[in-house]
Amino acid sequence: MSTKQRLILAAACVAAMLSACVPEPADVQGASVERLYTIFFIVAAVVFALVAGLITWSLVRYRAKPGDELPKQFDRNLKLELTWFAIPLATVVVLFVLSAGVLGEVNAESPDPSVIVNVEGYQWGWRFTYEGSGVEVIGDADDRPEIVLPVGRPLTFTLDSADVVHSFWVPRFLIKRDMVPGQQNSLSLTISDAGVYRGVCTEFCGLLHSKMNFVLRAVPPAQFESWLEEQRTIDGDG
Amino acid sequence: MATVDSRERGTAVAPQHDRPKGGVVDWLTTTDHKKIGILYLVSAVGFFLFSGLLSLVIRAELAAPGLQIVGHQEYNELFTMHGTGMVFFFVVPTAIGLGNYFVPLQIGAPDVAYPRLNAFTYWLYIAGGLITFSGFLTAGGAAAVGWTGYAPLSSNTFSPGAGVDLWIVGLLLSGVSGILGAINFMATIFGMRVPGMTMFRMPIFCWNILVTSGLILFTFPVLSAAFAMLYIDRQIGGFFFDPSAGGDPILWQHLFWFFGHPEVYIMILPFFGVVTEIIPVFSRKPVFGYSGFVFATLLIGGYSLSVWAHHMFTTGAVNNPFFAATSMIIAVPTGVKFFNWIATMWRGKISMQTPMLFSVGFLFMFLIGGITGVFLASPPIDYHVHDTYYVVAHFHYVLFGGSVFAIFAAFYYWIPKISGRLMNEGLGKLHFWLLIIGFNMTFFPMHVLGLNGMNRRIADYSSASGFQPLNILATAGAGILALAVTVFLINFFVSMRKGEPAGDDPWGGYSLEWATTSPPPPHNFHRIPPVHSERPVFDDRANRGGAGAGGGPRGPGSG
Repeated sequence: MSTKQRLILAAACVAAMLSACVPEPADVQGASVERLYTIFFIVAAVVFALVAGLITWSLVRYRAKPGDELPKQFDRNLKLELTWFAIPLATVVVLFVLSAGVLGEVNAESPDPSVIVNVEGYQWGWRFTYEGSGVEVIGDADDRPEIVLPVGRPLTFTLDSADVVHSFWVPRFLIKRDMVPGQQNSLSLTISDAGVYRGVCTEFCGLLHSKMNFVLRAVPPAQFESWLEEQRTIDGDG
Repeated sequence: MATVDSRERGTAVAPQHDRPKGGVVDWLTTTDHKKIGILYLVSAVGFFLFSGLLSLVIRAELAAPGLQIVGHQEYNELFTMHGTGMVFFFVVPTAIGLGNYFVPLQIGAPDVAYPRLNAFTYWLYIAGGLITFSGFLTAGGAAAVGWTGYAPLSSNTFSPGAGVDLWIVGLLLSGVSGILGAINFMATIFGMRVPGMTMFRMPIFCWNILVTSGLILFTFPVLSAAFAMLYIDRQIGGFFFDPSAGGDPILWQHLFWFFGHPEVYIMILPFFGVVTEIIPVFSRKPVFGYSGFVFATLLIGGYSLSVWAHHMFTTGAVNNPFFAATSMIIAVPTGVKFFNWIATMWRGKISMQTPMLFSVGFLFMFLIGGITGVFLASPPIDYHVHDTYYVVAHFHYVLFGGSVFAIFAAFYYWIPKISGRLMNEGLGKLHFWLLIIGFNMTFFPMHVLGLNGMNRRIADYSSASGFQPLNILATAGAGILALAVTVFLINFFVSMRKGEPAGDDPWGGYSLEWATTSPPPPHNFHRIPPVHSERPVFDDRANRGGAGAGGGPRGPGSG
């Protein structure tokens, strides 16, 4: 392999590694998910390299040639088999313990959320109600709703559905939760980065599922307060 | 029993039936396990081609933002029927077809235990498939609820068309067909093995069909019950799944996935069996860790009944840590199988003819699908990738990269036995390389799309999302896949007319199907070699001191 080919191969590997990453998390909980994902990815890369390497080695090294004798007919080795039972077992036990830890972090409910938004999904739109202030943002497939939320404050979304199962997901948050009719779910998180984020319904919900989207604008708390005040006035006037 | 008789009589020839051979009436009324096996395989490939065409329309639609080819309703019908067709009418029936043809041969039996039940099973499956797909002919179109048919979307309120009713009835019939087939396989394997063929000398393929049948018996009745309940909700005013009347939509998810996850193993275990038959023969070694394989298959079968709710991590209605633990542990026996496959090849003499080539393709592709499965078993990671293209990529690596590659391996390995003619190696290799390139081009980018926020089952995505380039790549890959399958079909038809005669045993096989003629006579064997190990044909060759006792693949292109 020439140096140039090696460089191309290395660049391709780096590109593959980078493209296999999760998007940069925009919330505190998402950062935990990202750390866990990175650990899984490294373990996965090692496992893939090991197993794929062994297969490739066998295929290259033990290829039949004309006139070959029958190879030695061995078919068992208990110690070896117990070893390769134990290695994957130990690996998944570690991965499970790490997952359980992060699961506790991302499932933790804010004891005292600074904003509670009641989210109701319906075919094919969203109704967001800011608890306490009574501000409501509604929008559907033709008129995508846009909500505003503060950065750095614990938030809680209560999730419900008026008809079929939907699911609430802002990809940059790296967590989602289903909206099940007749069942109150909730999702607590703290946004870490200001920005404009795409939100989608991820549970197939019928005809216009692909158009059941929303926009979430994360802003500094002071800006959020003035937005909320503004909305309240508009709602009050209307 | 006929097998005992034929052994006692040495080389007795089974009596020939007077029935005309090969006519339409014969195919419609046959109870011969080999003919029913062929019917299953041909029908399953038919459903594969049709469901594959549906996916080509899906890929064409997703090549660009906006709706160019179909509308929202049609798109939703396409992915629903693509999934339904591939799962219920292609992959599982292919396993049943291969099992039908080869289980009796591999255990030295003249037929399955209940031949007429077997024929009934096949015709139920065909009726189920035609009814399910007939939804396309109704005014409201086919079912558009996803192959998972989540309630309450699948209720009369939200999906009033006849398409969903036909979908339910068709799948109920195919479910009953599966249950009856499983009973038949179990009775055949437990009761029809030739003397000497103990359970632990049985080919791994038969073991895997046995465990698969057990899983079918445990889970298909649950699915049938769920479909019956859904039908009652829709047609007789029930409300099992209707939250507005006190029903529970989560109950549907439990019932569906209690079937649905073992179903994944029902779709992969038979094909684990296939590659475990092929790899030893083409490495000229016995399978490494026979009991380890059996143990691992039993563990997978058992554990697969305890993992279903990892499909429901985001519902907020299940115990996530429990199902995460069981789902991760099931990776262990699968890992054991990988090491056993590698140890089988280790220090062997490996011939890379088409059956082995596709088996190696299976190893690499299923490895990726298995690894991404461990990511999905971790609830926090699933919170991100659930219901995205990452999941679509994962299960295509398992079911296409795994099952379909192994299905083609089985076709190249066993079609010579069924037809008496070898498939063309050159076209087979072209088929393989097109398939593996097209497959990875189509499905690898989907991992990246999913991680970056492309949710699944969407007819459209916005141009601002940045999803288009990888979708174009995936669509181009799908085109190559279509070409690959075309090459296979050409190879099949050309080889069936002009292929080199296969002889009894073109590969230097180990199991009993290679001890009879290609194709086998109506009652399978003129002579059954004695069974003293799990490789009776290998032993027989050694005892007779035939050319190169180990045999080894002859086939075309073996130099």
